[in-house]
Amino acid sequence: MSKKLYLFIFVTLALSMLLAACQPQTVIETVEVEKEKLVEVVTTVEVEVEKLVEVTAVPDQPKGDKTLIVWWSHWANEPAKRNFVEKVAADYEAANPDVDIVVTWWDKNPLRDAIRSTMTAGEGAPDITTFDTEMREWADAGWLMDLEDVLPWENFGPSFYNDGRYAGLDGVFKLNLSAAVDMVLVNPYIMEELGIELPESRQFTQAEFLDVVKQCNAAGYAGVANSIGNRPHTGRRVIEDIMVPYVGVDQFGRWLRGEESVDTPEFRKILEFNVELAEAGMYPDVYATMGIDEYHVYFHTQQKACFLFNPTWYTGRSFKPVEQGGQDPNFQFKFMLPPLIDGGVAPNNVRSGVESGYAILSSTKHPDVAKDILAFIGQPKYGALWTALTDSPSAILYDAATDWPSLEELEALGVESGKWDWYWEEFNYVYGELAELVVTSESVGCGNYGDAWVQALNEGIPQGLLTVDEAIELLDSNLCQ
Amino acid sequence: MSAEHLTISKPTKTTHKETQKPWGWILFFIAPLMIYYLIFVIYPVFATFYYSLFNITPKGGQIITTFVGFDNYLALLEDDIFIKKAVRNTLLWAFVGPTIEMITATTLAFLVYFKIPLHRFYRTAWFLPMLVSGVIVGLVFRWIFNVDWGLLNVTLRAIGLDQFALNWLGRRDTPIWVVIFVHFWSTFGYSFVLLLAGLTAIPDELLDAARIDGCNVVQAAWRVMLPLLRPTFVTVLVLSFMGKMRAFNVVWVLTEGKPLHFSETVATYIQKRAFGWGTLDMGYPSAMAVSWFLVVIVGVTLINRWLKRPVD
Repeated sequence: MSKKLYLFIFVTLALSMLLAACQPQTVIETVEVEKEKLVEVVTTVEVEVEKLVEVTAVPDQPKGDKTLIVWWSHWANEPAKRNFVEKVAADYEAANPDVDIVVTWWDKNPLRDAIRSTMTAGEGAPDITTFDTEMREWADAGWLMDLEDVLPWENFGPSFYNDGRYAGLDGVFKLNLSAAVDMVLVNPYIMEELGIELPESRQFTQAEFLDVVKQCNAAGYAGVANSIGNRPHTGRRVIEDIMVPYVGVDQFGRWLRGEESVDTPEFRKILEFNVELAEAGMYPDVYATMGIDEYHVYFHTQQKACFLFNPTWYTGRSFKPVEQGGQDPNFQFKFMLPPLIDGGVAPNNVRSGVESGYAILSSTKHPDVAKDILAFIGQPKYGALWTALTDSPSAILYDAATDWPSLEELEALGVESGKWDWYWEEFNYVYGELAELVVTSESVGCGNYGDAWVQALNEGIPQGLLTVDEAIELLDSNLCQ
Repeated sequence: MSAEHLTISKPTKTTHKETQKPWGWILFFIAPLMIYYLIFVIYPVFATFYYSLFNITPKGGQIITTFVGFDNYLALLEDDIFIKKAVRNTLLWAFVGPTIEMITATTLAFLVYFKIPLHRFYRTAWFLPMLVSGVIVGLVFRWIFNVDWGLLNVTLRAIGLDQFALNWLGRRDTPIWVVIFVHFWSTFGYSFVLLLAGLTAIPDELLDAARIDGCNVVQAAWRVMLPLLRPTFVTVLVLSFMGKMRAFNVVWVLTEGKPLHFSETVATYIQKRAFGWGTLDMGYPSAMAVSWFLVVIVGVTLINRWLKRPVD
């Protein structure tokens, strides 16, 4: 063979490999979903094997003449929220036949990694994505489109407008669907078994709560079901929820953002109380390894804990068929306010805020359509639909008399009317009448401080791995500059 | 004898064309792999070196890249989590892990070589863990070490050893040892197979000679086979050392470096700093990766110099 022929074959092979490497790949996203499937089996609740979620890459071309919108969403294992998003997408497509919306379902961490990779690479990112307020760096990097002139803000409470804004940046970057409230769920059957009566104020004092935890532990129950197997916030929520009524939302915010030293008598008192609780058996033995889906089952089906500190997204994981890991509708838990440390300045304060929402990525080829979709969601009827489907409060204001979906619509979406009425009666009583909801952030300060906060309050104090002094020193040595 | 019979025929002179290596075909066959290697291995390595000299920060809607020289490397020396947890744990693992693995794998290789009962079964069984994905291994052992209902603690409680039913993954001292054990379980089969192959390659004549000279099995193994196994042993040790220095998937699934970074390794800490620290800066984690790359190179060089001697 001549040298020219060798060269020709070599160049052809090299080019073909390069072209092959540039083609989009189909990836089966199985790790996170498979982990949760296996975990659910181990907790001995019979669960349906969840269908593995197939992640498709961004298609290159729209189908026919239609505009293709790719939407990546969190909540892969929350059927009610999936129902909502798919309903909205279907409604938009019906109203706009020239638009095709493809929704891909993820678990949160793999989704964030994928957004980061695709936006950095400049290729493969969707048009719309799940967005959480703490991902400020996405906004700083210019990855998100400004929604200030897009969403009908008159349909949202003021805190939801502010949630998507960041100091030093112009614009509002997030569509919130849910108004989250930090709840304290209590198992009334265990309380009855132990002969403990809930106070009328639905709030234990510091001493009362410690005594209740001791009684729970003596009877073989954990104080709370909260654990930290696969989340950096589910354990520290207990301490943070107790912090807010004690020192008020402003002081809590300054500590959370790492703006000032935590070496104060108040912070020390909070940690000392939590050390007492931990020593009294507050946290389950499996605190270090039990994941977020597991601890819901631990609370509502296995009933191994007296309390659960969880925001309103509890319903997304629990108000689903039992065979999918949901709770029995007849398990009618109660709500309480967080326990009040002696000398608390804001006894009725209960944290409220947001959960995951949506944003438009700046790489979208169809910004007008993507914006139109988010504006479409901002209608009062979808606020009502959100609450009707997910049983969690909506960030979008609505009039229940006129905007609530009809029985036929709800039946078509698989909603059993009246099934969770007891939940709403209890919720409205405790968090509507007894509590004063105060908006707080979920976002801890800068990187190093954020890690220190998690180490101290999510891992160290609850597991007795850090003393109060060590926790305070860890936080103070990493304050945000 | 005639002069004709004494004629020595001259060797035929070979042409240049007949001795020339077929470079064309050589290139043809290795080109795909070389291109792949250049794009997916060499380029990322150089890119990591390059990024380690920069600070990459999103600001005002843009990503600002600033040259900082060796500042990222200097910052590593002040990073307590990196030095006191990640590096410490990884070096501990890189010392203890290969030691246990080499002793175990060598012993098992000898047992199979000397054909203990069921040696064919063991040859397969001991290699099987290598075939299981690291993610699955991590998941399964996370359950086994579960403090409440894990197989280990349930067994310990059943036989009256409640005091040993620890919170294996939730204490300061035990998680890193769980990680070391689980990784050992999943990888010792690889070392075992390579060492067994090395033993099988030793010529039988040498063993026969040793037997004739009066060596028993233990003496033959110690004085003849082990020295001859040295090159294979060193190679396997280097591979084991490198594997521990960069292991990620088992640790990540098992503990994610928790609690309080007590089971943190360099690989998991790089992952966190790169993707989970509320920043888009890749400069600092790149510096971590480069510095660790150099540490691994030094370690491999030391192992080779220390252990590789010619066999007499």
